[in-house]
Amino acid sequence: MSDTAIIRLSRRDLLLASVFVAAAPVAEAQTPTPRRGGTMVMLVHPEPSTLATYAVSAGNIPPVTTQIYEGLLTYDWDLKPAPALAKSWEIAPDGKTITFRLQEGVTFHNGQPFTSADVQYSFMEVAKKVNPNGPVILAELTSIDTPDPLTAVFNLANPAPYLMVSLSSNNMPIVCKSVFEGTQPLNNPTANRPIGTGPFKFAEWNRGQYIRLDRNDRYWKPGLPMLNRIIARFIPDAATRSAALEAGEAHYAAYSAVNAADIRRLQASPILGSTTQGYGMTAAITALEFNMRRPNLAKKEVRQAIAYAIDRQFLVDNVLYGFAKPATGPLSSVFSTSGFYTDQVRRFDVPDRIDIANRLMDEAGFPRGTDGKRMSLYLEINSFGEQWLRQGEYIKQALAQIGIDVTLRSEDTATWLRRCYTDYDYDINEPFYSAGADPVVGVHRHYVSSAIRRGTTFVNNKDYRNPELDGLMDAATREPDPARRATLYHEAQKILVEDSPGAWLCEVQYVTIFNKKLHDHTGPLGAYQALDRAWLDR
Amino acid sequence: MRRWRYFGYRLLLALPVVFGILILNFFLIRLAPGDAASVLAGESGAATPEYTELLRAKFGLDRPLPEQFVAYILAALQFDLGFSFRNDAPVSELVVARLGPTVLLMITAYTFALSIGTLLGLLAAVARNTWRDAVISVATLICYATPGFWLGLMLIVIFSLHLGWFPTSGFENIAEGYEGWDRVLDVARHLAMPATALGLFYLALYTRVMRASMLEQTGMDYVVTARAKGQSERRIMFGHMLRNAFLPVLTMAGVQAGNLIGGSVVVETVFGWPGIGTLAFNALQSRDLNLLLGIFFISACLVVIINLIVEILTVFLDPRIQA
Repeated sequence: MSDTAIIRLSRRDLLLASVFVAAAPVAEAQTPTPRRGGTMVMLVHPEPSTLATYAVSAGNIPPVTTQIYEGLLTYDWDLKPAPALAKSWEIAPDGKTITFRLQEGVTFHNGQPFTSADVQYSFMEVAKKVNPNGPVILAELTSIDTPDPLTAVFNLANPAPYLMVSLSSNNMPIVCKSVFEGTQPLNNPTANRPIGTGPFKFAEWNRGQYIRLDRNDRYWKPGLPMLNRIIARFIPDAATRSAALEAGEAHYAAYSAVNAADIRRLQASPILGSTTQGYGMTAAITALEFNMRRPNLAKKEVRQAIAYAIDRQFLVDNVLYGFAKPATGPLSSVFSTSGFYTDQVRRFDVPDRIDIANRLMDEAGFPRGTDGKRMSLYLEINSFGEQWLRQGEYIKQALAQIGIDVTLRSEDTATWLRRCYTDYDYDINEPFYSAGADPVVGVHRHYVSSAIRRGTTFVNNKDYRNPELDGLMDAATREPDPARRATLYHEAQKILVEDSPGAWLCEVQYVTIFNKKLHDHTGPLGAYQALDRAWLDR
Repeated sequence: MRRWRYFGYRLLLALPVVFGILILNFFLIRLAPGDAASVLAGESGAATPEYTELLRAKFGLDRPLPEQFVAYILAALQFDLGFSFRNDAPVSELVVARLGPTVLLMITAYTFALSIGTLLGLLAAVARNTWRDAVISVATLICYATPGFWLGLMLIVIFSLHLGWFPTSGFENIAEGYEGWDRVLDVARHLAMPATALGLFYLALYTRVMRASMLEQTGMDYVVTARAKGQSERRIMFGHMLRNAFLPVLTMAGVQAGNLIGGSVVVETVFGWPGIGTLAFNALQSRDLNLLLGIFFISACLVVIINLIVEILTVFLDPRIQA
């Protein structure tokens, strides 16, 4: 009973709770007055391979590039659109035209004024062509009109309800047209020396050590930014990153820059604080996916049995150190605010789950052999960190209870990706899903049959084909009415959990660790947002 | 004159070695499954096949292998190591930027290990089977058996977190922006712990070798002769034995030059030292083959040069060797 209560907490409740936790220590001090100047050091891990955020959407790039590039919109604490480079906007009743009015007096770091031509170029020539999310988010965008320098009109072929939640500096950065015109965006000379309109200017990148950003003195928001300089430091070893925070050498670490195992210790440090705010648009879920080309995994009963055999609360407590909660299906409960999420699906967290799982295995025609085993499967260990091996070790134990003998296979990133997404030579994979701001952005591609694309990473590699689900997701992509969209997603979640092409494990809760000298650092988008208001105490 | 001809000959011999390494590496590293485009596309989360193909064409991975090979060798002969597409920078630029810190770390660790190691070995040999010998033996055994990364972390816990003497990591303090002698001092403060962590293992090794080598020399005829003609023990040790006893240590140090580059990966990772080891590891992980080949090439050159220096030193210590 209490389990369900926890799951039903909305994102807003969690948010309020975390505001309270985060605000408590600040309130104790006698509200310090903001102070200008100073150099803030943030930890970013791993070091980005490139700063071409418009062409590569790896998660370690935006903490740096959102200081430099800006988007048309940003988002408030309810994740509703808020003004950024666009001052205001109107959506036509049919949902097919969006008119953006742009901020006046904005200049790029190279001195060029920012106009609607830059918006047009950034979307039509850059994002649509080289942004990995472009083909999805901008699929309906046919053209952009620029009636005057401060107005940009988006023309859409069909309504695209997910577009308005995907226009932040992280998703769709605005680049300077005159810098990009006549070049290949991927080979642009400013790929690693970015020029944007943001509060900080790129200064230098000393590879293997740090990226330095200097204050943009001509930033369009009056009086901002507060800091003189931001340094993004790269330290490969997790224990040393924690030590750098404890020693006061670094002020800020978001996402997985700190090992979950270290977080409790760091929270006890007198100079450090922590917050779980700013991850509302992440909606990260850990999962297992099943290769349905394998005859035994093609049986629904086997897949459901595996889903029953796993104690998600155990994973939360022991693998993710409590910084997570059990997942019920393919959508994160973060989508409660939009009404898309439902927990009215087949539930695997029932008391007699092991018995049910064993019965399902019998029904599927896999009786226990003389050694008690029903079948042997390989689990491909996610190569992005140690927690995945821990998770795999638990899965092996859990599935042994229902007679499945699991062998763990650890390979490096390139080999792992090739095995699971090109060669399809796997049984069970343990991926990590980030849904993004809207299910269209990061959920559909794992389940719709049109996303079965050999050689493409993190799409439907399961060979899951269900015309009914395809239809629902297709309709949800075009449905402008939020209530009707929610109904479609509820139906889709029921079908997916019933079919179990994957087993959804935990909703990951990220934690930001910061030095208490640093103030006003966390906005609704967390580390994927400019630190223009952040300031450092002496 | 003959001595220099000998060095020239050794140098000439090194050329085909380096060239062989170049060819072998080119084909060997292509045996690893997956390529740079798929890793980069993978990190991006979702990517269309067109996007991956776009990257592949950009990286030149769509061309046939023999063509890639010929282009690579021709460029390498002109000292052009190619372009790291993943890092969007020329390989030579990336490698040269990392070479300085690596060489600095290596030389410091090496000097520390060789000088202190030799000294301790000497002390232990002189005072063999006394408490001093026992203390040195136990200490070296501990250093020898301790993994580098653990030692590094313990140094950080003790000297950075508790005592606050040294910074935890990095090459220098960027936030302060030191210049001139202040910067040298700052870098030295950052260098102290990684050099210690890297050097202690080798220090232990050289201490053991030096001790054994000294003891071996004690029984030699020339020592007996020297003693018979009435030379002082001090003169026998420093004038006769030291040079001979040092030779095995030096030879071993030369052979280990390559190890020191490889072994520094762990220490570099723990201390966030911007060296070539971590660069190589990341390049391998991301299948950045151009960069990896460049690093192998430069490392091979480095090892060859160090071996050459060691040989020159050996010849000076023992002139009989060049014959």
